[in-house]
Amino acid sequence: MSGEYIIEMVGITKEFPGIIANDNITLQLKKGEIHALLGENGAGKSTLMSVLFGMYQPEKGVIKKNGKPVKIYGPNDATALGIGMVHQHFKLIDVFTVLDNIILGAETTKVGFIERKAVESKVTELSERYSLKIDLHKKIEDISVGMQQRVEILKMLYRDNEILIFDEPTAVLTPQETAELMNIMRKFAQEGKSILFITHKLNEIMSVSDRVSVIRKGKYIGTVETKETTKEELSEMMVGRPVELSVKKEKAKPKHSVLRVENLSVGGKNSGKGAVNGVSFEVKSGEILAIAGIDGNGQSELIKGITGLEKISGGRIFLCDEDITDFSVRKKLQSGISHIPEDRHKHGLVLDFSLENNCVLQRYFEEEFQQKGFIKNSAVRKYATDLIDLFDIRSNQGPVTLTRSMSGGNQQKAVIARELDRNQPLIIAVQPTRGLDVGAIENIHRELVKKRDEGKAILLVSFELEEVMNVSDRILVIYEGEIAGEFYPDKTTVSELGLYMAGTKRKEESDSDEQKS
Amino acid sequence: MSKNHEIRSKIKHVYSKDGTKTALASLLSIATGLAVGGIIIMLVSVFNSDIGLKGGIEGLKLIFFGVFNKGRDAFGELVFGFNPVNIGNLLFRATPVIMTGLSVAVAFKTGLFNIGAPGQYLAGTAATLILALKIPGYIIPPFAIWIIAFVGGMAAGALWGAIPGILKAYLRINEVLACIMTNWIAANGVTWIFENSTLRNGGESGKVGFIMKTTANGVATAKFGLDRIFPGSQVNGGFFIAVIFAILVYIIITKTVLGYEMKACGYNKDAAEYAGIKSKRMIVFSMAFAGALSGGGAALYYLSGNTEFFWSTYQSLPTEGFNGIPIALLASNNPIAVIFTGSFMSVLSVAGQQLKNLTSYNEYITDIIIGIIVYLSAFSLVIKNFISSDKKILRRKASSADENTHSDEEIITQAHIQSEEGDGA
Repeated sequence: MSGEYIIEMVGITKEFPGIIANDNITLQLKKGEIHALLGENGAGKSTLMSVLFGMYQPEKGVIKKNGKPVKIYGPNDATALGIGMVHQHFKLIDVFTVLDNIILGAETTKVGFIERKAVESKVTELSERYSLKIDLHKKIEDISVGMQQRVEILKMLYRDNEILIFDEPTAVLTPQETAELMNIMRKFAQEGKSILFITHKLNEIMSVSDRVSVIRKGKYIGTVETKETTKEELSEMMVGRPVELSVKKEKAKPKHSVLRVENLSVGGKNSGKGAVNGVSFEVKSGEILAIAGIDGNGQSELIKGITGLEKISGGRIFLCDEDITDFSVRKKLQSGISHIPEDRHKHGLVLDFSLENNCVLQRYFEEEFQQKGFIKNSAVRKYATDLIDLFDIRSNQGPVTLTRSMSGGNQQKAVIARELDRNQPLIIAVQPTRGLDVGAIENIHRELVKKRDEGKAILLVSFELEEVMNVSDRILVIYEGEIAGEFYPDKTTVSELGLYMAGTKRKEESDSDEQKS
Repeated sequence: MSKNHEIRSKIKHVYSKDGTKTALASLLSIATGLAVGGIIIMLVSVFNSDIGLKGGIEGLKLIFFGVFNKGRDAFGELVFGFNPVNIGNLLFRATPVIMTGLSVAVAFKTGLFNIGAPGQYLAGTAATLILALKIPGYIIPPFAIWIIAFVGGMAAGALWGAIPGILKAYLRINEVLACIMTNWIAANGVTWIFENSTLRNGGESGKVGFIMKTTANGVATAKFGLDRIFPGSQVNGGFFIAVIFAILVYIIITKTVLGYEMKACGYNKDAAEYAGIKSKRMIVFSMAFAGALSGGGAALYYLSGNTEFFWSTYQSLPTEGFNGIPIALLASNNPIAVIFTGSFMSVLSVAGQQLKNLTSYNEYITDIIIGIIVYLSAFSLVIKNFISSDKKILRRKASSADENTHSDEEIITQAHIQSEEGDGA
């Protein structure tokens, strides 16, 4: 019986001051299986993995390999036990070649010199065996994110790891790349390698895993056979209550034009091709237009161009038929834009401000909050308190809480509360649910649909196709700074969108016109 | 019992406040600095037979209580008590460093490290002296000249501060590098300006290389009666002006729209831009504001009427400028606290003078103490975190020992909420 599990973490408890990150968690990985670890953000998945890699020593619990207890004091011990991990944020050196990155830290040397030939033939052999095709002599900075992930995978294989951990591996991939990765994972499993797959995407779990372990708020909820469960059951285990996975909404009734972008280009005045190249579209009142695409295809620049955070190199922007192209950021905001930014830490919040000061970030100078250059603190306090009540923003000290000390989900809620409450005709929401748990995502989607029904125009930028298909009324796929096609969620599929997102297919203007009619 | 409880929870509440921890961290750095200084004094006395143990103890006394020293009595023993000269001089020396401390603190609030205070101070010095000495005193009343010279000093400092600000905002040149350059440009420029000027003191009472006192033109800061409280000292009304500036800066930073924008830019430039704040302008403004305060500090110092400027400064920068950095750090950039940390720095400098005058030690011992404090004040954040974590450990120990602590914490949070409500109303 003891031989059944290749690696076991039994009764792991890890405490941090004021919080129990892992409370008696048991995770048992069978040899040759794909085991999914499911949990919301902050449920304790990363802590558990850090324990496995010896970064933290648990207060209680044991780690066993093949039934024998082992002690892991650092990543080197973990590697010696054959445990390897592909991190969510890759640990690669950009200016090194693929090969150099693969062998880094595990170089085979002869009198101090790296045995390049031997090393290269081993890596080549591995990449052929698992059909992980890659140019070994390219620099990391020159290859795509999907390729970089392959480098990480090859790194594990090169070290002869037999326990492979993937931490949110599909977050950066297209649907096609994701499917490919799933195949590679299956192949590994067939060869007898054991895989631990950390994710919060239910579709992927259903398609690839053999068993699923769920943790919630640091506690172990249970382990189920994938075949015997459903997405609904898994999400309930993860969140602790039944969750509506699809957004309920009626058909959109688009009215007048709110945002019109004509031939917009951003960047690339000197270097030729910019980040955004001659994009034109329109968002109407009462509709949600989604911009779908893989991260880094010009979405950020497009939004920054519209909101004025980045200089545009061509084109015009109209808001409710007013030309706002040359307005300052503030004037744009005031003329009718709410903006939920991509990165709440970078743009959305001043983390070292109190929550109440963040609530008035774009409004502190308005008459309501300011008199003769002095901030009306009581007005700010009252407004923030109302907003906190209305949107159920949780924090330990209410309006005066230091924003940095709040949880990511509540920080995002604060941003969304502030933006939606400004009640502008155009709402730009970039990755509004990034890093949030299923329950919070549900709420935000509902709020967006509610605003749509109130007649607002919503421009949603998302890298998550599920979100795009679920929430939007119309979809534009962006690829390399150009609109690759226009779709309607009820008339397209995720895999079709994927082809356009990856640039393999491209729709001519006439095609999209046909689809409209 | 319950009253005791209340007091305990109140103490805990005060202790849990961020400001308390910050103050404790600063006090800890000061105490450590003084302790190390004391150890050095004793070590020197042990190894230097000229000084001896008695001299060492005298040195210690002077380090800690130098301000209250009244010299030596007929038997050669140190006498302590109220010494108006020392305290007056303390306030006089504190004036410029409070201003440069404010200068550094203001820039910090916008996320900028103003290491250019010495250059701004020199620019202020030059402008103030030229205006105060060149405007004919027989035409324009001295009072008006004083104001013009003071404003001129601030303006020159503002201009000098704005240069690294502009470089930072529009060309992304690190303000620390730009400030170092502007410092030395100021040092050389000021020397050059005064080298051929008619403002040089022609060797009165054997002194060469100095610029005339502003009293030569009848201009001097009013004493506001301080000279009667502290007779024989150099004190003047400049100290009050520095305190008023500290209060003004405090109000601007904490209560106004301008302060909100400065802090937003300082904490998170990207978020500030997202909110429509013109962060580039804010950077330039903040550096100019900081420069104006440094320049104002120089103006207050040289308009006192009893100070002379050593014009050949191309090889050295004024310490008043650099001392603004530890003063701001020790004060955690709180403008009101700057008044106290600035005064504390001048306590040390007065103590250094006492050491030099009354014992075989030289005044550089106090420089070592200041150095240690500066070092530790840079770590004050670490120390602050240490204090916080210490508290957590204590609390955890307490909670395992005694279940009532939980209710204690509730009381604390309640007290907190109440006090906040009080603030709001």
